[in-house]
Amino acid sequence: MLRGADRARWLPSSQTAATLAIVIFCGGLVLYPLVYLVMESLNTGEPDVFPPGEYGVNNYLDLIDDWHILANTAFVACFATAMAVAIGFLAAWTLTRTQVPFRAQLERLMELPYYMTPLVGALAWSILAAPHNGFVNQLWHVTGATGDLVDIYSPFGIAWVMALFEGTVAFVMISAAMKSMDPALEEGARVLGAGKWRTMLTVTLPLVMPGVLGATVFVFAEMLGSFAAAFVLGLPARYVVVTTALWEAVQSFPPDYPRAAAMGIALFAVMFGTLSLYRWMVRQGNFATITGKAFRPRRMAMGRLAWVLFAGCIAYVVVAVVLPLSALLLTSFQRFATVILSQSELTLANYRTALGFGAVRSALTNSLILGIGVATVGVAIMTVLVWIIYRSRAPGHSLVEYVVMFPQAVPRMVFGLALLWAWLNIPIPIYGTLWLLALAYFTVLLPLGVRTLAGVVLQIDKSLEECARVCGASWFYQLRTVTMPLLRPGIAAAWLLVFIASVRELGVSIFLVSPNAKVIAPSIISSWLSSSSELSAALALIQTAAVFVALIVLLRATRRYSGELP
Amino acid sequence: MSEARIEIDNLVVRYGDVPAVKGVSLVVGQGEHVTLLGPSGCGKTTTLRAIAGLEEPSGGTIRIAGTTVYSAAERRNVPAEKRGVSMVFQSYAVWPHMSVFDNVAYGLRVRHLPREEIQREVDRALDLVQMRNFATRSAALLSGGQQQRVALARAVAFSPTVLLFDEPLSNLDAKLRAEMRVELRDLQRRLGVTSVYVTHDQEEALAISDRVVVMNVGGIEQIGTPEDIYNRPKTRFVADFVGSANLIAGKLRDGASGPGPVGFDAGGGITLHAWAAHAPRGGEDHVAIRTAYIEMAAGAPNGRANVIAGTVRQRLFSGDFIQYIVDWPAGRLTVRRPPTEMFDEGAAITVSFAPEHCVLLEN
Repeated sequence: MLRGADRARWLPSSQTAATLAIVIFCGGLVLYPLVYLVMESLNTGEPDVFPPGEYGVNNYLDLIDDWHILANTAFVACFATAMAVAIGFLAAWTLTRTQVPFRAQLERLMELPYYMTPLVGALAWSILAAPHNGFVNQLWHVTGATGDLVDIYSPFGIAWVMALFEGTVAFVMISAAMKSMDPALEEGARVLGAGKWRTMLTVTLPLVMPGVLGATVFVFAEMLGSFAAAFVLGLPARYVVVTTALWEAVQSFPPDYPRAAAMGIALFAVMFGTLSLYRWMVRQGNFATITGKAFRPRRMAMGRLAWVLFAGCIAYVVVAVVLPLSALLLTSFQRFATVILSQSELTLANYRTALGFGAVRSALTNSLILGIGVATVGVAIMTVLVWIIYRSRAPGHSLVEYVVMFPQAVPRMVFGLALLWAWLNIPIPIYGTLWLLALAYFTVLLPLGVRTLAGVVLQIDKSLEECARVCGASWFYQLRTVTMPLLRPGIAAAWLLVFIASVRELGVSIFLVSPNAKVIAPSIISSWLSSSSELSAALALIQTAAVFVALIVLLRATRRYSGELP
Repeated sequence: MSEARIEIDNLVVRYGDVPAVKGVSLVVGQGEHVTLLGPSGCGKTTTLRAIAGLEEPSGGTIRIAGTTVYSAAERRNVPAEKRGVSMVFQSYAVWPHMSVFDNVAYGLRVRHLPREEIQREVDRALDLVQMRNFATRSAALLSGGQQQRVALARAVAFSPTVLLFDEPLSNLDAKLRAEMRVELRDLQRRLGVTSVYVTHDQEEALAISDRVVVMNVGGIEQIGTPEDIYNRPKTRFVADFVGSANLIAGKLRDGASGPGPVGFDAGGGITLHAWAAHAPRGGEDHVAIRTAYIEMAAGAPNGRANVIAGTVRQRLFSGDFIQYIVDWPAGRLTVRRPPTEMFDEGAAITVSFAPEHCVLLEN
């Protein structure tokens, strides 16, 4: 019996120790590189010397001279955010508030763009709508017209592609807000004599406004840190935004690290501020009318308009997924990309290169190894983290949550740069190896994995575990027979999501790859730079295929589980 | 009461710095069915969870069947799985990834019983709750009432020494709740197992318990049989929370010694013949009269004790009873009468009640 007493005293302290260790480890992983980056951004002496010989704020002052880069960034981000939120709002309203045909299927389809990466989308849209030889312009010329119908290499093109892929994020966030609104609030307006449109304008819109604003701020923050679209579509026309300027500063010879660091820190500061604003808005009482409870919304009959809304949703999926993938597919089987099939030379050479050529093949294998490795080891650690955050009573468990979620506020590019600079200057020889990439992936994917697992842990009623203890099960027996089986679907989901995110990772990878450690997304970029859109298309499709295979497994796994739990 | 099964002495449980249970002492006898009753946040569930070993107290002792399972002084805290108690949870906690049979067999398997015995005991438990036909069904496919029965079968299958219930009926609809109440009482009598039951539903508590423990803000207000609690509430809280009662403010007449009959000056110059269950201390300023114990009659007072004139202010017909609001010298009185006794609003009447139903409350 005394054993029980001893354990009761021993447990909290070991939990505290574990919590402390994890805070230090994760905090180190996240904050240490950023400290290096801040120091470098203040370096006004020799750019390559670390620690810096002289400190100053000149690098930041220089940013003011680059005001056009900041203006470009702000313009693209605002324009893209407006489009994305418009797409998201219309789609969310259509799918949660109207009787649109095939609603359930549409809802699934609307999530697809999320799994296309902006890089793949940007490549595809440059194939589709580049000046001169984009497919659209090729067809335009066939009709005998001169000049170009569309030019994707423009600020509007960049914003268009970014909006297509963030639109689905806005959709998910806004429809969550709409689903959690009590339909009685709308019915009240109808009963008092307001028509459909009046109800939407006077009740629905004001009530979901906080949700829409939240989505706007969140999407804007994402837009600020996004790189791929601006890179693929902006550089040909020399339209530079902060992320691409940062990349160019590192790629220039000699690399201008202090300038890149200053830009990175500035971008981080803006994004951190924006996300803090988002968190503050979410916490405000604005959501008082929107309870945590999910309601079954009553949907309005729209008559013939329903088919217009249906067509709108389909059109979105077509331009965001179907059209890009078709263009890539067609291109990847051709020697020279063309949409005029009579001129087309079909070939498998691009896939042969992708799967056979040493450098490219090793990038594919490395990506798979990293995806599987990071998902397996990472999710195991994340499970422990989630348990500490949500189940333990050890002091400081809320600090753990903050530390774990912190990477979300750091733009990937900036974090990649910080890691590059930190590990160049730390005498542990993992720079240029897959180990560094694995560490980086684990850190930036922490929020994703933890959030997914937390969703499942929070759904498991605590008394399911307690009941096992009361029935006489030891802690280990309880874990084996109750906790783990209940967590399994969540662990599977987290594994697959982390795998997907690793395979498509670009922002961090682009600074950390080396000749001995290549991964797929940066390889697509370099093949694009060597102006082979055909090989890039093949690589992008292989990456997308890996993601979609994982996605199908994920849907299967979660559906089987939800079938068990009505 | 026969030999003690659970002894709780001066139990204190804190959440951080907030005490949830402040020095609760309680003894439950062998085979006794005791209910902890109180509003949410009164510490009843915390007390129950401390008995189960799911909450670590910070002071006091808990003994189950003669064994100390928690003692602050000895720094002893036996983990939940070693206490031999069983519990039915508010959310049922039926494991969705197992069949009904596996759920019920869990406690038996943990104890490494032979296969045939597990089969026999599970069958017996499922028979008790009339769920034997569902044994192979996945637990995720059960309705709320069925989950409730499975949770009950699982709790009794391994013949625990003590059975704990944490508001087991609160998630059922009213009709099913009334049915399960009857079944629970029946089951509890047949098994003869010692049980502690937590609820905030006073009707449920009165109906199924041998003794009721009324709790409020972390402490015990009164312990007694259901009749005791109803007829002789000790405090304003008990009188108000259990059943419906009129609380009448006033002043205890001097010279009262007790327990026994006492005089009580209510407002409006009337003196009530009241009853003290305790030796009055002198400062008592409230009596309680159950709304159902007040009689009404037409006409004027006849001069007997506790017969007082009044006027019907309002009549609310509720089906099983009629509720009258009566103006009387000491203010307003709520009276419940059977639907056969009709008085018109505005009618002059007398109200009367026996002295032992006019209970002096402790301060």
